[in-house]
Amino acid sequence: MTPRESRSPHGVGQRVPLIDGPSKVTGSAVYTDDIRLPGTLVGKILRSPHAHAKIVSIDTSAAESMPGVRAVVTGSRDLRTFGVLPISKDEVALAVDKVIYVGDCVAGVAADDEETALAACEAIRVEYEPLPIVGKADDALKECPPEQKLHPGTRHSSNLQKQVDQNFGDVDAAFAGADHVAKGNFRFVGVTHAFTEPHCVIAHFEPTGRLTVWSATQVPHYLHRDLAAVMDLPMHRIRVIRPMVGGAFGGKSDPFPHEMIAALLSRRTGRPVKIRFDREEVFLTNHGRHPTKTSIGVACDGNGKLLGLDLDALIDGGAWGSFGVVTTYYNGVLSVGPYRFDNFRYRGRRVYTNKPPCGAMRGHGAVNSRFAFEVLIDELAEKCGVDAAEFRLRNLLPPNTTTLNGFRITSNGTEECIRRVVEASDWKSKRGKLPYGRGIGIACGFYISGSALRINWNKVPQSTAHLKIDMDGGVTVHCMAAEIGQGSDTMLAQCVAEVLGLPIEWIRVFSRDSDLDPIDLGSYSSRVTFMAGNAARRAAEVIRGKLCAAAARLTGYDAEGFDTRDGHVVWLPNPAIRVPYLDAVLEAIAGKGALIAKGCYHDAPPMGGSHKGAAAGLSPTYSFQSYVTETEVDPETGFVKPVKVWAAHDCGKALNPLAVEMQIEGCLHMGLGQALMESFGYNRATVGNPSFLDYKIPGPLEMPDVEVHIVESNDPEGPFGAKEAGEGPLLPILPSLANAVRDAVGITMYELPMTPDRVLKEIEKKERASAVREASEAANPKETVR
Amino acid sequence: MILAPFTLHRPESLADALSLAAKLPDGGFDWIGGGTDLLQNYKNRLNAKDHVIALDRVPEMRGISAERIGAGERLAVISESAVVRERWPGLAEAITHVASPLIRNSGTLGGNLLVETRCYYFNQTPFWRGTKGSCMKAESDECLVVPQKEICYAAYSGDLAPILGVLSATLELASPAGTREVRIDEFYAGDGIHKNVKRADEIIVGVKVPAESSTLRAGYRKLRHRDALDYPEMGCAAALRLDASGRIELLRAATTAVDVVPHFVDFTEQMRGQEPDTAFAEVAAAMEERAQPKKNTSMPVGYRKKMVRVYLGRLLDDLRAGRTEGRIPAA
Repeated sequence: MTPRESRSPHGVGQRVPLIDGPSKVTGSAVYTDDIRLPGTLVGKILRSPHAHAKIVSIDTSAAESMPGVRAVVTGSRDLRTFGVLPISKDEVALAVDKVIYVGDCVAGVAADDEETALAACEAIRVEYEPLPIVGKADDALKECPPEQKLHPGTRHSSNLQKQVDQNFGDVDAAFAGADHVAKGNFRFVGVTHAFTEPHCVIAHFEPTGRLTVWSATQVPHYLHRDLAAVMDLPMHRIRVIRPMVGGAFGGKSDPFPHEMIAALLSRRTGRPVKIRFDREEVFLTNHGRHPTKTSIGVACDGNGKLLGLDLDALIDGGAWGSFGVVTTYYNGVLSVGPYRFDNFRYRGRRVYTNKPPCGAMRGHGAVNSRFAFEVLIDELAEKCGVDAAEFRLRNLLPPNTTTLNGFRITSNGTEECIRRVVEASDWKSKRGKLPYGRGIGIACGFYISGSALRINWNKVPQSTAHLKIDMDGGVTVHCMAAEIGQGSDTMLAQCVAEVLGLPIEWIRVFSRDSDLDPIDLGSYSSRVTFMAGNAARRAAEVIRGKLCAAAARLTGYDAEGFDTRDGHVVWLPNPAIRVPYLDAVLEAIAGKGALIAKGCYHDAPPMGGSHKGAAAGLSPTYSFQSYVTETEVDPETGFVKPVKVWAAHDCGKALNPLAVEMQIEGCLHMGLGQALMESFGYNRATVGNPSFLDYKIPGPLEMPDVEVHIVESNDPEGPFGAKEAGEGPLLPILPSLANAVRDAVGITMYELPMTPDRVLKEIEKKERASAVREASEAANPKETVR
Repeated sequence: MILAPFTLHRPESLADALSLAAKLPDGGFDWIGGGTDLLQNYKNRLNAKDHVIALDRVPEMRGISAERIGAGERLAVISESAVVRERWPGLAEAITHVASPLIRNSGTLGGNLLVETRCYYFNQTPFWRGTKGSCMKAESDECLVVPQKEICYAAYSGDLAPILGVLSATLELASPAGTREVRIDEFYAGDGIHKNVKRADEIIVGVKVPAESSTLRAGYRKLRHRDALDYPEMGCAAALRLDASGRIELLRAATTAVDVVPHFVDFTEQMRGQEPDTAFAEVAAAMEERAQPKKNTSMPVGYRKKMVRVYLGRLLDDLRAGRTEGRIPAA
C-alpha cells in the first residue's frame, strides 16, 4: 500500500483503478454504436475515388427510388463551412462543386439497413472531371491558378495555408560565432492515432425540433458549436452527448463531416440516423500527425553551452485546415524548452495537399521537431566531447523563468528527471561502452499543460464543474471534460474525494451530456487535469465550507477549525471532536435543500510576449520529461529492438500514480510505433495501408521493459500541484531510441520510422565509408564519448 | 464491411463433402477450414463464391499421429500436440509464427497450406480498388506490380509449406475420383492465381511426414515487422543432418514469400560430406539467388531478398548448434 497523506483513501497520490474500468472489461460500457434508438436508420457516405476533381453532376434519383432508402443528401453552398479553429473554417459537410481528397464525402444516404444504404451509395451517379493532384508538400508551395488551389479563398497564390516566421536574437551571428554547429534534414511520414473505436455518431431531430447528437468525440463543445453553425440552429436547440469513447488521441478532436451528415439525414427523415465507420473510413478521415520535412541547425560554444536553434518545418496538412495553424506554430515554439538559448529562428509552413486531412495527434506539433532537436544535441555533445546527459544538464531552463519567446515557466522538474534516469539506467557505465549492436540514449521533452488562451475568444470559463449532494450523501460531479479512456472521470472523482475526505464510491461523475453538464472545452492540448481538476476542486471546496459550517453548528466549535477527512468533518485542534459526514450533510441541507456548488477554471494569469503569434504555445504550466532508452540493433538485419526504457516525467503531482504510469507507458508505446514502424503510406494520393494489418502498430511483443519515474515538481497553480501526463511523455521516446541506435552502431537516423531496411542501409553506408573495422573482441568499435 | 453473401454447407463426411462439391458448378464454391483467410477476402469482395463448403465436421480430416496430421486440425492444437512436439519440434515452433494465438485457434493446417497469395494491390477494399484500378487477381486482366497480363505476381505467403517441405511431407488429396498423394515440394506451381496442382474439386485431407524426418534437425525463421500477426515478408526453413564427423549428410532448404510459390531445394547430393560452414554459406547464397520478391509487400524488395541469406545462414547455424528460438517452452 502506498503510504497516504490524503484525506481520502482514493484521494491525491493514491493508486486508484479507473472508475469506468469495470464497465469496460465486463462489456457493459455503452459506446455510441451500442445505443439502439427505435426507428434508427443506417447512414452511409459515398466517398470520392478522386484526389482532386470537379463534380460535374450528381444523380441521386436511382438511389432515392430504391425501396428502403429514406433520404439522400448532397453538398450545398447553403450549408456553412466549419472547422475547429475560427481562423480556418474550411471544411464542408459534403463536397460542393469539387472533391479534394480520396475519401471526401460526396453524398449521404439513410436507409432501413446497411445493405440497402450501401447499395444506394453505389446507385448514385457522380460525374467527375479530374483536376491536377497536389500530392507533395513541395508541389503545394508552387504558384498555381486559382482553380488548382484546394481552397480558392486563401490568401496565397499557391496551396500554402499558413506561414509562421519568428526570430529571436540573432541566429546568424550566433551560428557564425559558435564553436560547434550540427545540422540535419529530417523527414517524417504521417502517422495516425489508431484508436480502437471507429468514429460513430447518432443524430436525432426530435419531434420538438430539437437535435440530439451522440458522438464518439473528445470535443463535445466544439461539435456543439459547429453543429449549430451548419444546421443553422441556436445552440440551445442542440444537445450533444458523448457516450463512452474507445480511444481518441486527438483523432476525435475535430467536428467532422459525418456528424453533420447524420444531422442532415435526420432532419430530412425525422428519424435517428447512425453512421458508424469501418476501419478504412477511419484511415480516410485521418487527422493524424503531419508528414513533415524538418531542417534544423543547432549551435553551441566550446563548453557545450547552447547558443541557438534554427528551425524550418514544411508540414503537409492534407485537404483541410483542422488544427493546422496551431500545428504550424507548435512545430517551432514547442522547441524552446527545456533548454535555454538566446537565439531562435523558425519558419513554419503548412500546405494543403490532396490527401486526407492531418490534425492533432498526441504530442501535437512537438514530436517531429523534438526528435530532430534531440538527435542533433547528441551530435553537438559529441563534438564538444561532453557526455550527452551532462550536455543537457548544462543547458536547462531553470524553474520560474521566462523563455526567449515569452513562455512563463513555473514548476520544472527536468533536472531531477535527468538525474533519476541517468542513475537508474547506470548510464555512466553504459554510454559508449556497450558492445557493438547495443546502445543507450537519452532525450528530454517539454509540453504544454493546456493552452492558456482559448480557441474561441469569449469569456466562458475554460472549464466548469457543478457539484450536488442530497440527503443520501452521494456526490454528483457534473463537468463536460471528455473521458476518452485517459481517466478524466476518475481524476474528477479523485479531486472531489480528496477535498471532501470521502471514498471514491461516494462520487459519481457525469461528463457526457451538454444539457446536464457544464462546459469544458474538451480533451485536447493536455488541459483536462489542470483545468477541469481545478474547477472540480474549487466546487468541492465550496461544499466543504458548508459542511464545516454545519459541523460547527452541531458541535459549537468554530467552523474554521474543521476539515473533511476519512468520512468525517473533523475539528483539527482536537480530532476527537468530529461529525460523521452524513450528519454534517443533513445539517447542511436542513431547510435549504441539496448542497450545490460550482467551480471554474477561467484563465491563466496574463502572460506572453507581444510578437505575432505570441499566444501560440502559452500554457499555464509545462510538463517536462527525460528518458533513457537501451536498445539492441542487429547489424546484419537492421532490426532495432529497444530492451529497456527508464522514463521520468514531471507531472507536477501524480494525483493517481497508477494513471500516470499508464499514460507514460501508453505514450511510449505510441511513440515507439512512430519511431519503428508506423507509416501512413500513400499510393499517389490514396492511403496505401488502410487496415490494422498493413498499418503496423507495435504489439505487446515489441514493447520494451519500462521503468517509470514520476517526478513531482508541485506546480503552484495545478490542482494539488498536478499538471499533464498524457502527451509530453510521448516526446522523448523517439529521440532517446535514435540516440541509443547511434550509440549502438554509430549511425544517425534522419528519417522515421527506423525500419530495419533503412537502418541496415545506414549501417552499410557507414561501413563502406569507414576504414576496415577491427573485429577484435577487445577493441570496442564505437567512438567513446568522455 | 459486410461479408459477401453465400450459402454455407456443412457436410458430415468426406464423401458428402465431395459429392456436394460435384453438384455445384465449377468455380462456384470455396472450401473453408478456419476461415481466417477466406472470410477476410470475402469481406473485401475478392473472388467470393456463392457456395462455401465447411470442412470442420469431416472426420477424415482430423487426427494427429506419428504418421499423419489431419488437414482440418487447428494450428494451435497441432503446435501443442505431444506427438508433434516430440517428432517435429521445428514444425511445432514454426506454427507459433503464424498470425496470432487467436487466429491459430481457428486456422487449420490445410488452410495454411492453401493460404491465398497476397499482394499490395489485391488485399485491399472494394473502395480502394475502385480508386486505383483493380488487378488481374481481382476484377481486371492486368497486373499492377509488374505491368503485363500474363503472370500474377501475388506472393505465396504461407508459413508452414517451407518447414513441411524440408521435412519431405506429402499431401493427401481427395476427390470423387479417389485419393492421390503429392509431395509438397511438387504441389506449388503456377503463379499468384494458378497456385498449385490441386483441382477445385480436391481437398487436402491430411499431411504425411515420413518417420525418417523426425530424426532431422529442422526449423523455420521469419522476417516481418512485428513478432505476431504479420504475414512473412520472407520466411525460410531448413532441415539438417550431420554425419559422425560433423559433415553434411542431409541438407534441405525452403523459402516463402519471395515468389509466387514457395521454393524448395534439396541440397543433400550437392553438399554431402562438406564442411558445414562452407555448405551453409553456399546454400544461403543459392536460396537468396533464387528469391524473386516483387514490390507488393510492406518491406523493400532488395531487403527481403538480402535477408534470405542472413536468416537462412543463422537458421543453419542454429540447427547445427541445436538451438531453437525458444518460442515453445520446454516441457
